[in-house]
Amino acid sequence: MSETAAAHDAPTSTGIDHKKLIMWLFLASDCMFFGTLISTHLLYRKLYPSGFTDAEGHQRFIQNLFNIELTSFSTFILLMSSFLMALAVSAMHKGEIKSFRRNVLGVIFFGLIFLGCQVFEFTHFYHQGLTIQNSVLGSTFYVLTGTHGTHVAIGVLWLILMYFYSFTGKLGGHTGALDVEVAGLYWHFVDIVWIIIFTAVYLVEYLGPNGFWGTGLPAVTK
Amino acid sequence: MSSSPEAAPSPEFLAEETRRYHHFITLALWLAVVTGAEIVLIFVPVSMPVVLTVLSLMSAGKFFAVILWFMHLIYDKRLLFWIFVAALALAFATFTALLALFSVDVLDPKWIS
Repeated sequence: MSETAAAHDAPTSTGIDHKKLIMWLFLASDCMFFGTLISTHLLYRKLYPSGFTDAEGHQRFIQNLFNIELTSFSTFILLMSSFLMALAVSAMHKGEIKSFRRNVLGVIFFGLIFLGCQVFEFTHFYHQGLTIQNSVLGSTFYVLTGTHGTHVAIGVLWLILMYFYSFTGKLGGHTGALDVEVAGLYWHFVDIVWIIIFTAVYLVEYLGPNGFWGTGLPAVTK
Repeated sequence: MSSSPEAAPSPEFLAEETRRYHHFITLALWLAVVTGAEIVLIFVPVSMPVVLTVLSLMSAGKFFAVILWFMHLIYDKRLLFWIFVAALALAFATFTALLALFSVDVLDPKWIS
């Protein structure tokens, strides 16, 4: 820990602000929650690698459904939103409210783009025949990515409220900076969860000719 | 923070924040580069275990970079770091346990007959 941080210890028994400690405890519990969802998806991909059957009764594979360009774009957008959030927190610590507002607007905008990409992806998958009910893959995929999307939506709503609250003049000083930092922690957490989902759910499907999990079909022997 | 809630930030604090600002920019660039490299990597004709290992390492690197710098864990109290690492360990243990539980089909039958 740096000397600057040591000089700013909160007057609590742990030296950590209660709001920040509570947020970290919540994020720790959310980490286990997402850990379970990601584990469930990966295990069921291993057990049922054959994809899903669409409305016409055709066997479909997830590798042919994913759009890596779109997912990469939304991943990049979320990473950059995290960067803007770090700048917003830094601005608030320095008492630069206008810079804070500018950066938070950027985070909100990027968050909405990410959500738009997810809505587009879900709609596309649904029209291709992947629903939450017709396969194990659909159930675990929609629950995992949908839960993450809900977290993003909550984060966007929180930041919109914080943006408007900043115009009341009450979002200032140490308390205001701490409130923004806590919101920032939540937003960064949403970003790190997506870092894992991007690799574990999307990228692994492109490994090898039939993806990491294969197609579940018997191997062709010559 | 300072004892007075509305006190102006000290020059040392502002200098520290400016230093962090430059770290954030560098980190954002690295994150973008690593993400780009991940996408290229999946199309490189190398054996699957190698690609999977490198992808996992890159992903873990990005994960820890964000929690250490963007989430300030490198600047904050160690307690926060250990709280999060403990949760991460539990999540990973859950994954490992589930993997072992659902891998009974690959066990040698002589052990269960």
